Amino acid sequence: MFGLTNPEIALMMMGIFLFLVLLGFPIAFTLLAMGVAFGYYAYYNPETMNTIFDNRVFDLVVQNTYSVMDNHVLTAVPLFLFMGYIVERAGIVAKLFFAIRLASYKLPASMAVAALITCTLFSTATGIIGAVVTLMGLLAWPAMVKHGYDKSFASGIICAGGCLGILIPPSIMLIVYAVIAQLSPLRLFAAAMLPGLLLASLYITYAIVLAMIKPEVAPKPKAEEIPATSVIVKEVLLSFLPLFTLILLVLGTILAGIATPAEAAAIGAFGALVMAYFYKTLKWESFRESVFLTAKTSAMIMWLFIGSWTFASIFSYLGGHEIFEHFFKSIDIEPWQFLVITQIIIFLLGWPLEWTEILIIFVPIFLPLLKTFGIDPYFFAMLIALNLQTSFLTPPMAMSAYYLKGVQKKNVELMEIFKGIMPFLAIVIFAMIILYNFPGLATWLPEKLFGN
Amino acid sequence: MQFINNYIKFCESLSTWVGKGFAWCIVILCLGTVYECTMAYIFNNPTLWNFDFSLQMYGALFLMSGAYALAAEAHVRGDVIYRLFSVKTQASIDFVLYFLFFFPGIFALAFAGIDYAGNAWKSLETSWNSPAQIQIYMIKTLIPTAGFLLIIQGLSEVARCVIAMKTGKWPERLADVEETEKILMKKAEKGEEIKI
Repeated sequence: MFGLTNPEIALMMMGIFLFLVLLGFPIAFTLLAMGVAFGYYAYYNPETMNTIFDNRVFDLVVQNTYSVMDNHVLTAVPLFLFMGYIVERAGIVAKLFFAIRLASYKLPASMAVAALITCTLFSTATGIIGAVVTLMGLLAWPAMVKHGYDKSFASGIICAGGCLGILIPPSIMLIVYAVIAQLSPLRLFAAAMLPGLLLASLYITYAIVLAMIKPEVAPKPKAEEIPATSVIVKEVLLSFLPLFTLILLVLGTILAGIATPAEAAAIGAFGALVMAYFYKTLKWESFRESVFLTAKTSAMIMWLFIGSWTFASIFSYLGGHEIFEHFFKSIDIEPWQFLVITQIIIFLLGWPLEWTEILIIFVPIFLPLLKTFGIDPYFFAMLIALNLQTSFLTPPMAMSAYYLKGVQKKNVELMEIFKGIMPFLAIVIFAMIILYNFPGLATWLPEKLFGN
Repeated sequence: MQFINNYIKFCESLSTWVGKGFAWCIVILCLGTVYECTMAYIFNNPTLWNFDFSLQMYGALFLMSGAYALAAEAHVRGDVIYRLFSVKTQASIDFVLYFLFFFPGIFALAFAGIDYAGNAWKSLETSWNSPAQIQIYMIKTLIPTAGFLLIIQGLSEVARCVIAMKTGKWPERLADVEETEKILMKKAEKGEEIKI
């Protein structure tokens, strides 16, 4: 066509696609239609054709759809979403924050630490960033500011803490990544444990150290505000322990290799329902809403898979992947340079796009190159997972800042939030540097648990 | 104009109704898997059917919610630039792109899906995932069904574009459940009191 070679057409396909993404058309359907159109061209063979519908691309579309349906790992996605929506709508977060806040009052910046731990646990259970940031923005943010915390500092805590859910297992993002990269979800969960905890503890350390150096950003609670120890113990037992146990159960059975992610997710969702029943906080209406939201979000993720698998198979049939491979080989770079380049690209893509699109569409382009450069796929996955945190935190398109601003319109300026996010953004990059220098953080636990 | 409005309302109600109906598959999927875990890990007597059963519940769930998600604007779009345009420009872009980059893919899926499901029905195909050999022609039938639902809903989206191009205003969508962050941000916007 127009004297172009197949790989050039593949590049054109990617170019048109990027243009359409910027125009704002729903991505799943764009991918599907482009896959069909370019596939029709790629498989076009006038000799074997009786009607215009004799083209292999039509079989390919349906088969790709069926392989999304036939993927047992992906069944965990709606189940984890369901668990998340139940936890989110069952009023568990308020109890959790209150309990941890009481338990941690002795620490410097105790409320910030409590907010971070709540965010970590809560986002581990839900995995939905917007919900965590808005709920905590309404709950922990005013509480911190009322006690004289610096607004920027409080904002940074909420925005950064809310994003941890996509990194710390069991996270939906990691399941999606496992399917894309054809890695074992169990190993990927194990690989993410240490980097996830590292990032969370770096955040907490930062909050504590800052409060020790500059006590005015995070004043200590007054003596009369601290309740008796018995009250604290009771709150922790009633509010913190159930959710914590549920998360440990879900995560533990997966990491111990007892249950598949889907089974653990189903138990988690069921456990969340039981918990909500005992707290008497889940209304029938909220339950129905959770069911419907699960369907909508699952449809969004899975149709993206249908589209991107069709698109990707045509793209690589036309030789698109080879172009990238040739390119990276021809510029003669070291593995570390390859890592830096890919991470910068992912970082930049995080500006206009969300993690779903980045993972499903762009990460597959880099994956075949890992072998060429001898990079451990789990290590690479962790760098990307850390990097995707930044896509929610980097101004001007920091989604988590907008969520917080959305619920605290009159009380905080966007610039104050951005200012508060900056140190946390630096911590994420610092965590990436640590991980880069100690890849064992990502590879040690999976090997320990599941062997080579 | 009235006819177009009625058509839009009809399509959205249909997509939403079907999507919400199949949404309950998640509850069945959850309970089925919990049952399987209980049988397998406590009674040491795993079921033969749950592997296929859970796949089919999951497949039905997302396939049949595709049109619902379209009607509720839940499919992701990179709208960084898009939202800066005027409504008329947005509608004209969408109008053209629906014909170029929506219908070709969905038509291919729907019509190729008919053959695919037809073959499954002809041989009364069963799954080879487990010795239970559960039928899979029903779930394969959902592929073209989901495709046609999307075509119907897609036409309604085109109709919305036509109205928006004429009036400069997007027609209201059916009220639907929203994500927590959207609800909270809307309430904060209106200055309502929020209970958590």
